[in-house]
Amino acid sequence: MRFLVDTGPILFSLRRHRTAATLIVLQIALTCAIVCNAIFLIRERLVRMDRPSGLVEDELLRVRLAGIGTTEGAQALTKRDLDALAAIPGVKSVVSVNMVPFGTSSWNSGVSTIPDDPKSPMNVATYLSGQDLVGTFGLNLIAGRNFQPEEILSFEDTAEPAVAIVSKATAERLFPNQDPLGKALYFGSKHPTRIIGVVELLARPNDWGGRDAVGCSVILPVRMAFGPASYILRVDTDRREEILAQVDAVLEQNSASRILDSKFTYTALRRDYFQQDRSMAWLMFVVSAALLVITALGVVGLASFWVQQRRRQIGIRRALGATRGDIVRYFQTENFILATIGIVLGMALAYGLNLVLMDKYEVERLPAQLLPIGALLLWSLGQVAVLGPALRAAAIPPAIATRTV
Amino acid sequence: MLRMKDVSKVYRTEVIETHALRELSLEVREGEFVAVTGPSGSGKTTFLNIAGLLEELTSGTYTLDGVDVSSLDDRARSRLRNEKIGFVFQSFNLIPDLDLFANVDVPLRYRGLSRTDRHRRIASALERVGLGSRMKHFPAELSGGQQQRAAIARAIAGGPKLLLADEPTGNLDSAMAREVMQLLEELNAQGTVVVIVTHDPEIAARAQRNIHVVAGIAADLERGPALVRAPAGAADHHQPTA
Ligand SMILES: Nc1ncnc2c1ncn2[C@@H]1O[C@H](COP(=O)(O)OP(=O)(O)OP(=O)(O)O)[C@@H](O)[C@H]1O
Ligand SMILES: [Mg+2]
Repeated sequence: MRFLVDTGPILFSLRRHRTAATLIVLQIALTCAIVCNAIFLIRERLVRMDRPSGLVEDELLRVRLAGIGTTEGAQALTKRDLDALAAIPGVKSVVSVNMVPFGTSSWNSGVSTIPDDPKSPMNVATYLSGQDLVGTFGLNLIAGRNFQPEEILSFEDTAEPAVAIVSKATAERLFPNQDPLGKALYFGSKHPTRIIGVVELLARPNDWGGRDAVGCSVILPVRMAFGPASYILRVDTDRREEILAQVDAVLEQNSASRILDSKFTYTALRRDYFQQDRSMAWLMFVVSAALLVITALGVVGLASFWVQQRRRQIGIRRALGATRGDIVRYFQTENFILATIGIVLGMALAYGLNLVLMDKYEVERLPAQLLPIGALLLWSLGQVAVLGPALRAAAIPPAIATRTV
Repeated sequence: MLRMKDVSKVYRTEVIETHALRELSLEVREGEFVAVTGPSGSGKTTFLNIAGLLEELTSGTYTLDGVDVSSLDDRARSRLRNEKIGFVFQSFNLIPDLDLFANVDVPLRYRGLSRTDRHRRIASALERVGLGSRMKHFPAELSGGQQQRAAIARAIAGGPKLLLADEPTGNLDSAMAREVMQLLEELNAQGTVVVIVTHDPEIAARAQRNIHVVAGIAADLERGPALVRAPAGAADHHQPTA
C-alpha cells in the first residue's frame, strides 16, 4: 500500500550516495547478466542430457572387442559370439552393430533422393547390422516392416543394400508430406535403396550433422563383424550386472586371442557421454550460486552500513511520524530501486554476453522468457538480503533524535 | 491539551536504574507558551520525549488532546505524533541528504497527503519562516539560524496543535536565538501550544509560564514552588538493581 511512497526522496538521497549506489547496482547488473546466461546454459545442458535415443536403454548392454590382426573368419566368429551371448540366461537378443547412440564412433553418409547427386543434400547416420536391430534396440517401428533374412548383406560384400529402414526425422526431411515407404534413397551412386520401414526415433551417435540433422538416421541390413562393431545385448533390466559379469568368460571360450575392449550398461554409457555436460551444468550452478551469495552479502553489507550511517535520520523520521513499517519499507523500496536499475542494466549486459557466447561458441540466442526469471531472482534476493538491516533500522528508537547531539 | 498524572520514567540498564521522572504531574492548556527549566540531568528531555510520544512512560497516565496514550501501539503513536505534534530540536535535525523542500515534505508524506496539498503546505511553511527562496538548498548550505527556521517549518507544515522544542536556541547566537523565539511566539499567538525546554533565563522569562523540573519532579513556578519531594542537590538518583 504505502510501498514506493518514498521513491522520490529515496532517489533524491541516493544521488548523494552515488558511489556506493553505483557499485551495488553494477554488482547486481553483473550478477544478473551472468546468472541469466548461466541459467540458460544449464537449461540447454539439461535438455541435451535428457535427449531421447529411441532405445530401451535400461535393458541394453554394450560389449566391445578389440580385434587383433586380420579378421580372417571374423564373421563366423561373430556368429558364434552372438549365439553364445544369446544363450546366457536373461539375454533376450543380441546384435552386432557398427555404432550406437552416445557411443564414441559415428558412421555418417550423404544421402539424396536422386541418383548420382554430387551435392548429397542431407547427411544421415548409418546404422549397419545384420541382426534384428529394431527389436534389440527396442525401436518403435511406426510404418512398414523389418528386414528379412534374404535382404541382409555382409559388410565385405561390394553390393549396396537394396532396402533401408529410416527414422521418422529422415523420412520427413527427404519426403515431406509424402508416404516414404517404397521411395528410393541414393548414397552417392546410381543404386537405389528402397525404404521398407520407418522407426519413430533413432538418435544419431553424437552431435555430428548439427542441429538440422538431429535424429536423422537410417538402418541398413549389413552384417558387421566384431572389431569395427560392438555387441548389444537386450536383457532383463534387473540382471544387467550379473550378465555383464559373465560376458568375458563366454567370449573367451569362443576365442582366446581377443581382448575385451569395454563393457558397459547403456545407462553408464549415457552417463559417460554426457559427463562433460553434467560437469559444466554443475560448474555454472556453483558459480551462479556463489555470485548470488556474494551479491546478497553486498546488499546486506551496504544496507547495514547505511542503516548505521542513518541512525539519526531514522530516529528523526520516526519522530516525525514514521511507523516501524514505514522504516522497513523505506529500505525495501531503496533496495527495490537499486535492484531494478541493476536488473535493467543486467538484462542489456546479459544480451551482450549472450551475443559474445553466440559468436564464440555454439550457443543459442537467450530466450526472452528467461529475463523475468532473472529479474524475479534478483528482486527477491535483494528483498531477502535487505530485510535484516531494515528490521534493525525499524528498531532504532525515535528518542535518538533528541538524545544524540 | 496535555495532562500528566504521576508519570514516572525509569531507565534500566544491566547495572543501574535511573529514575528520570518521579510521579510527575502537570498540565499544559490550550494556547499556552510554557518554558521548562531545570538543572542538567533533571529530566527535562525525558519529559519532552514522553510528551512527544518518543518514549513510553514507566507508570502514570498521560492524556494528549483528550487521548489516553498509554494503550496505543506503535502505529497509533506514530500517527498521533505525526498529526498533533511538531518537534524542534537543539541540533536542528534536518536530514542532510534532502533539500529543504524534501525535508519539510517528510512528515507530510507519512501523513499520506496528496501531492498538491503537500506542495502547498511546504511552500507556505517555508514562506512562513522566511525561507521561501531557499527550498532547493541543502541544510549544509544554510546558517544555523536558517536551519533551525527550516526545522520549524518542517514542524509546523502539518499544522500540529503542539510544538515541542528541546533547547531550540542552544546552538544559536543571541541574535539568531531571538529570531527563532520570535517565530515561536508568533506561532503561539496563532494558537499553537508551545512547550520549550531551555537553560536560558532570558528565554524562560519570555514564556507565559515556567515549569521547573528538579530530579524528575516538576514545580509550577506560577503556582508557587512545590519542591517538597525533591532531594536537595541530587540531580538524579541511581540505585543498584541487584
Ligand atoms: N536512555 C537512557 N538510559 C539511561 N539513562 C538515561 C537515558 N536517557 C536519560 N537518562 C538519564 O535520565 C536522567 C534525565 O535525563 P534528561 O536527558 O531528561 O535530562 P535533561 O534535564 O534533559 O538534562 P540536560 O539539561 O543536560 O539536557 C539523566 O540522569 C540521564 O542520565
Ligand atoms: Mg536535555
